[in-house]
Amino acid sequence: MRLLVIGLDCVPPEFVFERFAMPHLRALMRRGSYGPLESVVPPITVPAWACMMTGRDPGALGIYGFRNRQDYTYEGLGIANSTSVREPAIWDRLSATGRQVILVGVPPSFPPRPVNGVMVSCFLTPSAKSEYTHPATLKPELEARFGEYLFDVADFRTDDKAALLRRVFAVSEQKFAIVRHLMTTRPWDFCMFVDMGPDRLHHGFWKYWDPAHVKHEPGNPFLRAFPEYYAYLDEQIGALLEVVGDDVAVLVVSDHGAKRMDGAICVNEWLRREGYLTLRNPPQGIQRLAPSMVDWSKTVAWGEGGYYSRIVLNVKGREPEGIVDGGAYERLRDELIQGLERLGDEQGRPIGTRVYRPEELYPVRRNIPPDLITIFGDLSWRSAGSVGFEQVWTHENDTGPDDANHAQYGMFTAAGLPLPPGELSGMRLLDVAPLLSRFFGLNGAE
Amino acid sequence: MEGFTVWFTGLPSSGKSTLAGLLSDALRRRGLAVELLDGDEVRTVLTRGLGFSREDRDENIRRIAWVAKVLTRNGVVAITAAISPYRAARDHARQAIGRFVEVYVACPVEVCIQRDVKGLYARALRGEIEQFTGVSDPYEEPLQPEVVVRTDVESPEEGLQRIVGHLERGGFLAPGMTNVRVPTYLVEQLRRVWGDGAFEARLGEALAAQAAAVEEPLHEAEREEVLARLRSLGYVD
Ligand SMILES: Nc1ncnc2c1ncn2[C@@H]1O[C@H](COP(=O)(O)OP(=O)(O)OP(=O)(O)O)[C@@H](O)[C@H]1O
Ligand SMILES: [Mg+2]
Repeated sequence: MRLLVIGLDCVPPEFVFERFAMPHLRALMRRGSYGPLESVVPPITVPAWACMMTGRDPGALGIYGFRNRQDYTYEGLGIANSTSVREPAIWDRLSATGRQVILVGVPPSFPPRPVNGVMVSCFLTPSAKSEYTHPATLKPELEARFGEYLFDVADFRTDDKAALLRRVFAVSEQKFAIVRHLMTTRPWDFCMFVDMGPDRLHHGFWKYWDPAHVKHEPGNPFLRAFPEYYAYLDEQIGALLEVVGDDVAVLVVSDHGAKRMDGAICVNEWLRREGYLTLRNPPQGIQRLAPSMVDWSKTVAWGEGGYYSRIVLNVKGREPEGIVDGGAYERLRDELIQGLERLGDEQGRPIGTRVYRPEELYPVRRNIPPDLITIFGDLSWRSAGSVGFEQVWTHENDTGPDDANHAQYGMFTAAGLPLPPGELSGMRLLDVAPLLSRFFGLNGAE
Repeated sequence: MEGFTVWFTGLPSSGKSTLAGLLSDALRRRGLAVELLDGDEVRTVLTRGLGFSREDRDENIRRIAWVAKVLTRNGVVAITAAISPYRAARDHARQAIGRFVEVYVACPVEVCIQRDVKGLYARALRGEIEQFTGVSDPYEEPLQPEVVVRTDVESPEEGLQRIVGHLERGGFLAPGMTNVRVPTYLVEQLRRVWGDGAFEARLGEALAAQAAAVEEPLHEAEREEVLARLRSLGYVD
C-alpha cells in the first residue's frame, strides 16, 4: 500500500493529455484513470495544495491566498506558512498511524514540520541558509549530494530569458533528483513532491509559445520552450516511475491550470474612479498602494493585486478608521459586485468577471476572509493593486511582465488508486484527500 | 529498506561486542530489523567445534559472512562482532556482501590486556592458551576500514555516534530519522474508544497546538525575502 504523488504546479489538462508528447504519462493514463481536476476558488498554489491534501476548502483552512489578514488594521497582512495549516494533511494522518512519508516542496511547507519521515520545505523557504528540512540533519546530506537547494527559480524578472529558462530546467532537475535519492534511501509509504517548474515556465514564457498572446512574436527563439520542457518533464517522470515499479500507486496531479493572460485590471484605480477609494494625494507615477496614502475618512473599499483580487470594505467599528455602517455593508457589497462584473475590457467588451461573497463559497470561514473575492475575466485578466496607472486596464504587470494566469481546471492521472479506469470528468481538487484516505484505509472525517 | 552489514573487527577485549550491542539497540529503535552475530555466540552454534588455526578461523568467518550476506539481501541489518583477524577473510566477506561497512575497533593491546574481560589474556600470557590473537597469534589491521573507533580514547557513546554518522552520510540510514511505527491495533483501538470523528479531531487539535507553538515561523528579514519573491513571481503586488 504505497503511493507516489507527483505534483506539477499549474499544469492544465490539455497540455499533458493532448498537446505535448509525453509517452511516460500516456502509459500511466492507460494503466489507470485521468481527467481534469476542478480547483478551489481561488485557484492559487497557496491555498490549493493545502486544500488538496487536507480535503478542506480555503474557508475551513482560513487561508485565502499567499497573504492573509492577521487583524483588522490596514497593515496586518501575514504571509501563509506551514504553521498556517491547522487541519491534518494526509501525511499527518499517515504519520499518526505509523506510516512513513517523504515530502519535498509541497507548499506551504516552511518552516518544515515534524512528520514520520522526512520533509524538505517549498519555494516559500526564505533562503538556502534557512533550516529547510525535517530532520535538520537531512540538509547537509542533500547539500553534499546536490549542492545548494534550488527551492525556486531565482531572479524571475530578469531580461535574460535564456538563462531563466535554464534555471527553470535546473530547478525541476534537482527536485526530481532529490526525490529519487530520498525514495531509494528511505523506507516510505507515501512520497509526494511538487515541482514548481511548469508554473514558472508558464508565467515566464507563455507569450513566446502561444500565437494568440497579445505579445507573441513569430519566429522568436523560445517558440519550442514549452514542448521541450514538457518532454523533459515526461522523461523525469519516466525515470521516477522506473524506480518505484508497478506495485506502487501513482498520482500525477496539478493544483490549477494555466491560460493566456490578456491584461490586468487595476482594481484600486477602478475603486478610485467609482468613488469608493480616495487618496490623500494623487499618486506620483505607478506606486504600490500603501495605507498611509489613503484618505480613510473617504474610503469605502480597497483591493489587493495578484492573480485574482480580494476586496476589503472599510467597516465602522471593525477597521481602525472605518466608515461603512453595518446597515450599508450588504448594499455596498452588492453594488461593488454589480460594478465589477459589468466592467469589460478597454473597448467595453464584456470579459466575464465573477465576484463572490466568501459565504457563498465557503460554509465555514476561519480567520479573516476578504469581503469580496474577484476573479477577473475568467482568469484571463489579473488584478493590479498599484495606483497611478491613470486608467483601469494595463498590459504591463505592475511588478514586471507576466504572460499567463491560472485557470480553474488542473489535471490528474492516477494508477493504482480506487477509481474507475479511463477518462473521468467531474473530479474536484477537494476529492483528492478522501480518495487517498480510502486508498490507505484511513477512515474518519472526510 | 535495503539491508547492509556492519562488520566489527579488532583484538579481544577491544570493544567489538560492546559497540555492536549499542549499535543494534540504536538501529532497532529506528525501527530497523537487526541481527547481531557475536563471535562468542556463533562459535557455540554455527561454527561449533572449530578451533583457532588459520584454517578454522577462516572457516568461522566464511560462515558468518554467508549468514550476514543472506540477512543483508533480505533487508536486514547484519552486525557481526568477531575478532576476524585476517584481512583476506574480511575482504572476501566484503566482496560477497556488497553493502558492507567495516568498523575497525582499535585499541592498543596493553589496554586490552588490562581490560581482559574474559580473563583470556592472562591465561594466554601464562601460556595456558595457544594461538591467542594479540599474544601468540597475528592480527592484521584493516587497511581501508570505513570507520575507525579508538576505544582507548573514545567513550562507547562517541564511538557509536561516529558509526551512526557514517551510516547516515553513506546513505545506509536516514539521518536522525525516528520512525515511529505506531501499531495499527492501537490506532484501531483508539478509533473504537474515541470514535472516528474524535480520533481525527484529536489529531487535528494536536497538530494545531504544535503549529501554534512555533513562535516566529518567519523572522522579519525572512518575511521580506519571501515577500520579495512572491512579488517577483506575480502572486502578490
Ligand atoms: N570506548 C569503548 N568502546 C568499547 N568498549 C569499551 C570502551 N571503553 C572501555 N570499554 C570496555 O572494554 C571492554 C570491551 O569488551 P568487549 O566484550 O566489548 O570486547 P570484544 O572486542 O567483544 O572482545 P572479545 O573479542 O573478547 O569478544 C568492555 O568491558 C567495555 O566496557
Ligand atoms: Mg566480544
